[in-house]
Amino acid sequence: MECRELLKKLCSINAVTGREDVAAQAISDILSPYCDEVKIDAFFNVIGLKKGQGENPRNVLVTAHYDQIGLVVTGIDENGFLRFSAMGGVDPKILGAQEVTVHGRRDLHGVIGTKPPHLISPEDADKPVKLEDMRIDIGYGAEQARELVSVGDVVTFKFPAIELKNNRMAGRSMDNRSSVAALVEILKELKRIRHDDNVYVAATVQEESGLVGAFMASWHIRPDLAIAIDVCHGDMPDAPSDESFPLGKGVAIAVGPILSREHTRACIGLAKRERIPYQIDAEEKDTGTEAAVYSSALEGIPTLLLSIPAKYMHTTVEMVSLDDIGATARLAARYIAFRDELLQEGDSQ
Amino acid sequence: MFDTIKKLVNAFGPSGCEKQVAEVITQMIKDKVDEIYTDAMGNLIAVKKGSGKKIMLAAHMDEIGLIVSYIDEKGFLRFGTVGGVSPLIALGQRVVFENGTTGVVWYEENLENMKDAKPDKMYIDIAAKSRDEAMKMVNVGDMAVFAGEPVEQNGRVISKALDDRVGCAILAELAMKRPETDNEIYYVFTTQEEVGLRGARTAAFGIMPDLALAIDVTRTGDTPSCTHRPVVLGEGPAVKVKDSSVIAHPRIRDRLVDCAKENGIPYQLEVLERGGTDAGSIHITAGGIPTGAVSIPSRFIHCPAEMIDLNDAENTVRLLEAFVKAR
Repeated sequence: MECRELLKKLCSINAVTGREDVAAQAISDILSPYCDEVKIDAFFNVIGLKKGQGENPRNVLVTAHYDQIGLVVTGIDENGFLRFSAMGGVDPKILGAQEVTVHGRRDLHGVIGTKPPHLISPEDADKPVKLEDMRIDIGYGAEQARELVSVGDVVTFKFPAIELKNNRMAGRSMDNRSSVAALVEILKELKRIRHDDNVYVAATVQEESGLVGAFMASWHIRPDLAIAIDVCHGDMPDAPSDESFPLGKGVAIAVGPILSREHTRACIGLAKRERIPYQIDAEEKDTGTEAAVYSSALEGIPTLLLSIPAKYMHTTVEMVSLDDIGATARLAARYIAFRDELLQEGDSQ
Repeated sequence: MFDTIKKLVNAFGPSGCEKQVAEVITQMIKDKVDEIYTDAMGNLIAVKKGSGKKIMLAAHMDEIGLIVSYIDEKGFLRFGTVGGVSPLIALGQRVVFENGTTGVVWYEENLENMKDAKPDKMYIDIAAKSRDEAMKMVNVGDMAVFAGEPVEQNGRVISKALDDRVGCAILAELAMKRPETDNEIYYVFTTQEEVGLRGARTAAFGIMPDLALAIDVTRTGDTPSCTHRPVVLGEGPAVKVKDSSVIAHPRIRDRLVDCAKENGIPYQLEVLERGGTDAGSIHITAGGIPTGAVSIPSRFIHCPAEMIDLNDAENTVRLLEAFVKAR
């Protein structure tokens, strides 16, 4: 499947953080054609293996989380309105007037209603509405709502991926399905390139609720190198330039204290050699990504972090460039295959 | 149940000093389990052997407290907090040290705004007339906990340290019932939960259970003009959906709900926005341990007078019994 169609399909899958159980098989089906084997673990991490051709293959882990932010029902009031709270980092500012799906006994359409301007007093006009004051309206009254919905049911945003000009796409869950798409593109690349090492690709769970899947993937694979793929902030009109990266200008290679200096240097060297567009992302802290877990997991795993710039993160209109997904995949696949020669060059400098 | 709770809340056990609590539990259950031991972190682990699944049930022994950081020349103690102690709630409270020394918590009265009443503007008075006299009673590094006797009233209990001695009491009661099952049950009384879910982490790693449950208290949403929370005191054990440390494994959560329904046990579903439990550190152990939690609805958590309903506690024992017996 072409990357554009693949990303659309990936974004249509519902996998609210902590409720990936309903999505794991679909992710597995997407990875399977490119892997020698695919397993789903007890927490619904989906891990594929593409075997290497070397005599003594090492293990490389390439990961992207596939969970998404969402909402969870916390109560049904006497009029049938649903109270809710966040699963993962949800900005209350984006919630008003959203169309949602409530995953109750069956899937139900809903909207998050907002008070019309006519009914808002002047002194409240500029105040942000708090999450605890919003409700989901599914149309039903209390009795029928309670039959179909219970506390703990998750809610997803409805916004199908759309195509924009300039090879760009927007929609919900580009964080981090664009990176899952990159995993597939990496596997496709590796069909064309000889690689000695066993490549494990992991679509991981519960990143948005505490980097949970990364702990498990480390334990299962015990890799010699981990490459985490996630989104970084795209450039937006009012975003700080040192923390945002233009779309379409290539993969962002992170440099920072928790990441392997040798591998990062070699990876940048490879991007130059292969003329793969890249940008440098200075991460002075723990990156806030799964790389933070891998780098200090078990006895310590040398870790690389590659990012796809995404605008408007944690909204329903997250935007990415297909070109950046392609650059990320080309670089990661080549790095897996060619890294030894680049690491040796680094040693001799 | 109240007698068990009473023995447990009266034990002294701030985080890192859980020995007294472990001793009380050991005396209660040692003849009813196949093995009982303490690990390097001080977790008390009691095992009912079996050939089936390894099930870990965890309740933490530690309670919140204060730790002496400095003793001034007049004998007043400066302190830090151990776990989530609200300075405003500690104000004017009676606190007690392991050796029985009693103190009262007060603040520097030149504070203009009570919101500034942080621990560094507060002190403990142990009725010492000088530093020398104080140092005969306590030392820097000694810990104190809230004082007060537990009370039963209208089927509800008011006491300090119900978080989480009520969980310990529930596990002790379950152990004493010796549930008939092939499953291997690990009753784990954990340490240092209040300072970062620490004991449960090593206990889970040592045991490597197939599945686990944390048993702890949760906040209710049933007091005047309080924040909305779906849990009500007295309406049954709360099956956790999520808190800030864990999203309950969907299979474990379903199994708990099924057990409650099949056995006619009242239950509620819990979504807690802030707060964590031992489940938070257990579920990310090794390659992942499917973990859920059962919570005892509780009001006024981390206050010297917390409140639970005995029916909720009894029903939690029933729910856990059904859970460990399920295949």
